[in-house]
Amino acid sequence: MPADRIPSKESAPDDRSSFMDSARRTTEVEPILTVHPEPGVAKPNPILTMDGLRRSFGGLTAVDIDHLEIERGIVTALIGPNGAGKTTLFNLLTGFDRADRGSWKFDGHRVTSPSPDRLARRGMVRTFQLTKSLAKLSVLQNMLLGAPDQIGERLWAAPFRYLWRDQERINTERADELLEQFNLAHMRDEMAGTLSGGQRKLLEMARALMSDPALVMLDEPMAGVNPALAQSLLGHITQLSLSGVSVVYIVHDMDLVSGISDWVVVLAQGRVIAEGGPWKVIHDDVVIDAYLGRRRTGTAS
Amino acid sequence: MDFDIIFGNAARAAFGPEAIILALAAIGLNIHFGFTGLLNFGQVGFIMLGAYGTSVAVATFGWSLWVGIPIGLFLALALAVALGIPTLRLHAVMFAIVTIAAAEIIRILIGSTDAIGLTGGPLSVSFDAGAFFDLNPYADGPQDRYGVGTFAFTGQQMWVITVGWVLVALVSFGVFLIIRSPWGRVLKSIREDQDAARSLGKNVFSYKMQALMIGGVIGGMAGVIDAIKTSGADPNGFRPQVTFYTYTALLLGGTATYLGPVLGAILFWFLREWIESFLRQLAAEAWLPGAIADFLEGSEGIISVGMVGLALVLLMLFRPQGITGNRIEMQLDAR
Amino acid sequence: MRRGKILLGLALGLLMVLAVPALAQDGADPGQTQLNGTIRFGFDQFFEGVTITVADSSGAEVGQAATDADGRWSVPVPGPGAYRVSIDTGTLPEGIGLREGQESVVDAAVDAGQSRAVVFAVGEAPKGTPFGERAAQTVFNGFKFGLIIAMSAIGLSLIYGTTGLVNFAHGELVTFGAVIAWYFNSSWGELNLIVAAVLTVIVCGMLGAGLESGLFRPLRTRRLGIFQLVVITIGLSLLGRQLVQLFFGAEPLPYRDFQVQERWEFGPWAVTPREVATIAVILAALVTVGLMLQKTRFGKATRAVADNADLAAVSGINVNRVVLIVWVMGAALAGLGGVFQGLDADIDPFLGFQLLLLIFAGVELGGLGTAYGALAGSLIIGMSTEVSTLWISPELKFVVPLAALILVLLLRPQGLFGVKARVG
Ligand SMILES: Nc1ncnc2c1ncn2[C@@H]1O[C@H](COP(=O)(O)OP(=O)(O)OP(=O)(O)O)[C@@H](O)[C@H]1O
Ligand SMILES: [Mg+2]
Repeated sequence: MPADRIPSKESAPDDRSSFMDSARRTTEVEPILTVHPEPGVAKPNPILTMDGLRRSFGGLTAVDIDHLEIERGIVTALIGPNGAGKTTLFNLLTGFDRADRGSWKFDGHRVTSPSPDRLARRGMVRTFQLTKSLAKLSVLQNMLLGAPDQIGERLWAAPFRYLWRDQERINTERADELLEQFNLAHMRDEMAGTLSGGQRKLLEMARALMSDPALVMLDEPMAGVNPALAQSLLGHITQLSLSGVSVVYIVHDMDLVSGISDWVVVLAQGRVIAEGGPWKVIHDDVVIDAYLGRRRTGTAS
Repeated sequence: MDFDIIFGNAARAAFGPEAIILALAAIGLNIHFGFTGLLNFGQVGFIMLGAYGTSVAVATFGWSLWVGIPIGLFLALALAVALGIPTLRLHAVMFAIVTIAAAEIIRILIGSTDAIGLTGGPLSVSFDAGAFFDLNPYADGPQDRYGVGTFAFTGQQMWVITVGWVLVALVSFGVFLIIRSPWGRVLKSIREDQDAARSLGKNVFSYKMQALMIGGVIGGMAGVIDAIKTSGADPNGFRPQVTFYTYTALLLGGTATYLGPVLGAILFWFLREWIESFLRQLAAEAWLPGAIADFLEGSEGIISVGMVGLALVLLMLFRPQGITGNRIEMQLDAR
Repeated sequence: MRRGKILLGLALGLLMVLAVPALAQDGADPGQTQLNGTIRFGFDQFFEGVTITVADSSGAEVGQAATDADGRWSVPVPGPGAYRVSIDTGTLPEGIGLREGQESVVDAAVDAGQSRAVVFAVGEAPKGTPFGERAAQTVFNGFKFGLIIAMSAIGLSLIYGTTGLVNFAHGELVTFGAVIAWYFNSSWGELNLIVAAVLTVIVCGMLGAGLESGLFRPLRTRRLGIFQLVVITIGLSLLGRQLVQLFFGAEPLPYRDFQVQERWEFGPWAVTPREVATIAVILAALVTVGLMLQKTRFGKATRAVADNADLAAVSGINVNRVVLIVWVMGAALAGLGGVFQGLDADIDPFLGFQLLLLIFAGVELGGLGTAYGALAGSLIIGMSTEVSTLWISPELKFVVPLAALILVLLLRPQGLFGVKARVG
């Protein structure tokens, strides 16, 4: 069933009906509800575990996390005021920046020499707050770049088309499905540089999904996307978690936080000041203070 | 003024060995700059090592030319590795300067009096390319000419040209094969945004290195042809301008296209020789005031190189995509 | 309309250079394959009776000549090829010898029908000096050279900082300064070099203004990519250098003034007043620029533009005016750098381009876009160039700073004082 092929580690439940299917969700996320909501709490089945992670720029400590676990298979929202260190944390975890000290485990293995490409190949993919679409490649080629383990990407095989033709065809089918889902099918053969800002966000997310990731880290996927499209993005995110992928996404709009996330982590001045279920967290006084009462306005970035 | 002579000269330059050398250098540079986005300003270094590797192996060590050629190519490859390791992580502008600097270092070392015993130093080196010309199928008597008017070559030149253009065709086809593959797609993604490529699991350093090596070896081939053509090498022939000429040819033909570098090289030499020939004829015209004629006399070469500079400026202003490139693609950069 | 303006700018630039009258070239009879040259010191001392010997590459003597009253010599050679030319320093007058670092044997290749000039730079003979003194002297020379690089680098660095333009034609601004001063000094009105230098600074400043308002400002509004701009500056650089070759010629020439000077002794240092003046003027210029950037409104505006031009524009700073001033200042300083460099080592069309690589090296070593980094980087480059001659042949001295640059970038890709850019 092409249209339903959502990247999955486990077998994907064949359910595209709706992310509001609460009964189902409750059973899915039940274990997390039993976790006591306090910063740094241990979780039943973490995919990412950080310890003593710290990064400062000159005198400014951008990230300072004693202990934080990200649960597997659920949607975790990362929120916090501007400059809280969310993007920096993403950069550290995905190897785009070096931590001053600290360590983290991904999928049970300690990450020793974080290099972005190696982590991506191990299943931790990310998107960027400022989109990085590859302007002079077509939308389809952008998508194909996301596919993992391509024989044709090795130099020795590159000149011999018959070695990679089949794989390329399969990847293309897969890319077309994803483009369909993300409303980009009509732009398939356009240069990515001609896409609008919101479309680029979509493309970047779809591209990240080409590789069957275990953990997807989305830096403000909703920013600049129109509300209708944002709703459908939320749908994609929910579906991802339903199919067993763990999702962490950075978001500013509290309405979007409560809609789909199973767990919320609040960062302020580099520290985790609160975490817990969405309803709990967004009514937490500490969190409201951190946002200086602007919690419902969705601060622009 | 005899335009037949002018056109003949220009056409001879456009299809002669100089254009072949430039075309190969530009094809290599196209892999670096056009497809991978590496701002390599030291392409002349690869050419130089190709030329000197071949020359020195034959002239100084007395080895066969067929050993010398692979040595030249190997040295170009080695330069790519040695240069790539410290520099591929640099900011684009820094990479540009460091590559110029590296090529200059090599030129100064090769051309120094201390190196006379090895490379001939400032004296230049010359060797016997007989092994290559023994295979020449063209009759090469003193009277043998192939072509019409001034657009004619000797038998020896014909042999260099034949081998050279066949090589250009083969290399271009090879480049086409690897660039249209997923491997080529990764190169382009690095050109567009290397962090994006990284986030998609591509080992950017490794791909850049591969690109640097392939383009460098193709530059080395240009050097080998140069060495055979002149039966030697001279350090003064490898100044940074050579890289700039290569960029001119590439930009003229169109970057990131398959035929652009070849067309560009042909056009570059055609125009340059046309101008030079034209000025030479002009200086000989009787109606020209004496002062201007004296001024032109002997300055044709200087002026034609100046024209290259002017052409670069005008090209970027009015047709940055070159003659074969796509204007729309260029504009995507600005967004 | 915009195109018209650009073309106008180009044409103006061309005209300014074309207005320079051509030099009468010495007429060596064409067709004769020969080596020739002039042995002289400064502008007006020509040495007669100096013996020059030419040998072919196997070492067999081909010919010998003695210089005439104008210091000229020429030796016909049997055909094209490489020859080894040597000067008999014993035939030079008392107290005159080859300049430091010059070899008495020079290799030259000549083409058929070409007459190739061979240069022996003579000057006050260096005395056999102990290592300590030579070390002190090279440190001094390096400091001076570093200052010249630094002064020429200011413009490059500020222009990059404010507009993002990497100007490969900056070296030609340096050459232009040296050459214009030479014309003022030796040709047009034979002005004293100090007057000539002042006029040069003004002319170079005007050239900078012309380039910015006639070419680069219109280009900025067209939003060309960084690479396209780089290529344009490379084109201008080639064009400028060829124009200098066309009018000034390729042979190195000195200024008329300040060539022969008593040396003042300061401890281990023996320095000419010319060198002291060079250092004093450059230090004064650097301090002035530094104060301007730190203290004045213009300086604040410059830093604001460098930080974020759009933001600066909306907060009421006239970005174009700031950039214009930066160009005028940068070009003027580069031109003055050219004058000092020409005073040090005669003027030729490649003077600026050679310096350009070192300027880039200095700016990068310090970290792209950091003012004090550029200063420190330039001094390091200048010092390492000169001090290296204590151990290695002066022929190779430019290898050292360039190799140092590559090494430093290996360890610190962002340069000594630069900061890493953020991702995402
Ligand atoms: N490379 C850097 N150099 C200096 N400071 C930096 C760098 N990267 C981040 N910072 C600083 O670290 C702090 C955290 O930045 P970060 O981008 O992580 O915030 P954020 O939570 O993603 O904010 P936003 O919601 O606005 O995206 C900020 O104060 C920022 O200025
Ligand atoms: Mg952020």
